Amino acid sequence: MSAGKLFRKIFLVDLFQGLAVTFGYQKPKYIVTEQYPAERPKVAERYRGAPRLNNNPENGETLCIACNLCALACPETLIVVGSERNEQTRRKELTTFTYDLSRCMFCGLCEDACPVDALELTQDFELASYTREGLIWDRQMLEEGPRPTQYKC
Amino acid sequence: MADEQKPGGEAAGEPAKPSPPKPAAAAPKPPATMAATPWENDLARELKERFGDRIGETSTYLGQNFIVAKPEAAVPILEYLKLEADFDYLVDITAVDWPKRPERFDLVYIVYSFPRNERVRIKTRISDGYKPETAVGVHLTANWLEREVFDMFGIEFAGHPDMRRILMPEDWQGYPLRKDYSIIQQDQRWVQENLGIESGQ
Amino acid sequence: MKAASDASMPDSTFLDSTELVLNMGPQHPSTHGVLRVILKLDGEKILGTDCVIGYLHRGVEKIAENRTWAQFNPYVDRMDYVAAVSNGLGYCLAVEKLLNIEAPPRAQVVRVILTELNRVASHLVWLGTHALDIGAITPVFYCFREREEALNIFEKYCGARLTTHAFRIGGLQYETYEGFEQDVKAFCDMFPPKVDEYEALLTGNRIWKGRLTNVGVLTADECKEYGVTGPLLRAAGVKWDLRKAQPYSGYEKYDFEIPIRQNGDTFDRYMVRMQEMRQSVRIIRQAVENIPEGPIMGKVAKVIKPPVGEAYVSIEAPKGELGYYVVSDGSTQPYRVRVRPPSFVNLQALDRMVRGALVADICAVIGTLDIVLGEVDR
Repeated sequence: MSAGKLFRKIFLVDLFQGLAVTFGYQKPKYIVTEQYPAERPKVAERYRGAPRLNNNPENGETLCIACNLCALACPETLIVVGSERNEQTRRKELTTFTYDLSRCMFCGLCEDACPVDALELTQDFELASYTREGLIWDRQMLEEGPRPTQYKC
Repeated sequence: MADEQKPGGEAAGEPAKPSPPKPAAAAPKPPATMAATPWENDLARELKERFGDRIGETSTYLGQNFIVAKPEAAVPILEYLKLEADFDYLVDITAVDWPKRPERFDLVYIVYSFPRNERVRIKTRISDGYKPETAVGVHLTANWLEREVFDMFGIEFAGHPDMRRILMPEDWQGYPLRKDYSIIQQDQRWVQENLGIESGQ
Repeated sequence: MKAASDASMPDSTFLDSTELVLNMGPQHPSTHGVLRVILKLDGEKILGTDCVIGYLHRGVEKIAENRTWAQFNPYVDRMDYVAAVSNGLGYCLAVEKLLNIEAPPRAQVVRVILTELNRVASHLVWLGTHALDIGAITPVFYCFREREEALNIFEKYCGARLTTHAFRIGGLQYETYEGFEQDVKAFCDMFPPKVDEYEALLTGNRIWKGRLTNVGVLTADECKEYGVTGPLLRAAGVKWDLRKAQPYSGYEKYDFEIPIRQNGDTFDRYMVRMQEMRQSVRIIRQAVENIPEGPIMGKVAKVIKPPVGEAYVSIEAPKGELGYYVVSDGSTQPYRVRVRPPSFVNLQALDRMVRGALVADICAVIGTLDIVLGEVDR
């Protein structure tokens, strides 16, 4: 074995090269820990989180036209749209809207299918519930939208 | 290149531009069948010469070539393709269930050749209860692939060294991918014995 | 009590007292999922193995027969959950082949960028967990730190980090977001020095070399016999990559190399995958230079009903050849979708690779096979 190789072998040069990389990262001033739940991570705008039924900002009425396209698009068929026909305007009006979050896989097909942007998947990812029934959201919970709890630390 | 019919000779696999499609054979009353065109090639001719009437048809659809053979000819064809035509890599073995046909299952072998860079599908039609010969002697890949076909469809392979279920539990009854096995069906007895609950649904 | 799986073990009676049957159970930190390996040992030497899989079998192929073509798209990501974008690409290409359409050029380029980012992310998981199994605890933190950057790009693009559902049949659903090119270019600039760091940590390290060389050797002929594809085949010396042999989605336009090595042992597979990461960055750089303008979705009907027929389409997933055999009977639901999983076929070769090796090598070999049980079991 040549002198160079022998030197590298006895003095553990390859191991020290690896250690140099590791010790190069010791910078106590650089902290990456996010202080959750005091500061929530910023997720992307297109993040597929909890669903929300949007209302018209001017008059507060629901944007949903009860076309049932979201229910047809869902792979798990977990959306149930209830509607009744309004005799005056001859249109369907939304009465109940049930969304089963326990089976939802957040694929976004319902959001893509909605023609009026009424159903939207928001950036809320904190969806835990203590009961199975708590995950089946009805129209009122869906319209309220995400309500993350604020913590003071 | 496999297909000399389509202009621009793409590799059997992905088209670089869409090939001119043939309209599906739309007979209004009987169910539509696949619009396959005959495959004229050296390989097809050699196979037809060698195997004669054990090969039903050699066709191509969307640039992918396949031959329909009699069940007992499947392994000899695989052997011939491996030894004489350089198709040394068995890509997949699978089955498709057509319950309305008397010969219920379509057993499909897909082989690929490294030197030629082409793929060929070999399809055979077998009925329920028929035990085709195993391809493990020709390609070792067939071991687990055939176990999976047995597990999911119930097609046993004669001569396989280790014919038992691979994905489902060992003592499961029923063959899940058959069309008469509903999607929420389960082996009630196994669930109750092994999981201790009434039903998994 | 004779285990049912002894049927495949080499000849030996159960009462032979020098042999031990050891169960490396489904819950094990090194098996990368719920894989059960029953080892037959003579002291520390392995005489035979038997893999028991199926603990993660979810019946994806059966589900496919009960959903429409577009509804099945999200399920496909969940098979190889580490490289979800590749699975989606394979399925979309297969259905597009049946429909005989092609995605528009802009969609193809964005698909290539996301798929190669996904390849880098998948190899980073492989590297981190493989090093962790061998005992090198540091690389996993660095790898996941880089993976974070790639996952951030996925999140900004399609809304999810892991089960991305990024592609649709016929093209893309989402337009690229503002700053997509800058983010991708920043990733390409940031990443190659990090690969140099991983190499500084591992490649010259005598412990790493000692544990990986001549372990789990699989020669080129054995690879072809067992149907093994992907980096394992390339490490054995066969210069074959589906992106070059049968290009799809515009890969013929990019200039990249296929790394190969000669010996086919674990160290060679490590080197091949490191080089693949570098080549992926090269492809991404070329692709992001000129993303053509145009539509992102091809001409696809609202309700997808391919004509009667079948097709087999395969892509080069990070783990090997991922194939989709789709059979259509003309209706809105697939008649049969068969997924040819690379990890399932590669796992068969485990037995050949560890015969005669020591127990400690089992973890190294399972790591180098780069299996994901979601794909093995579907």
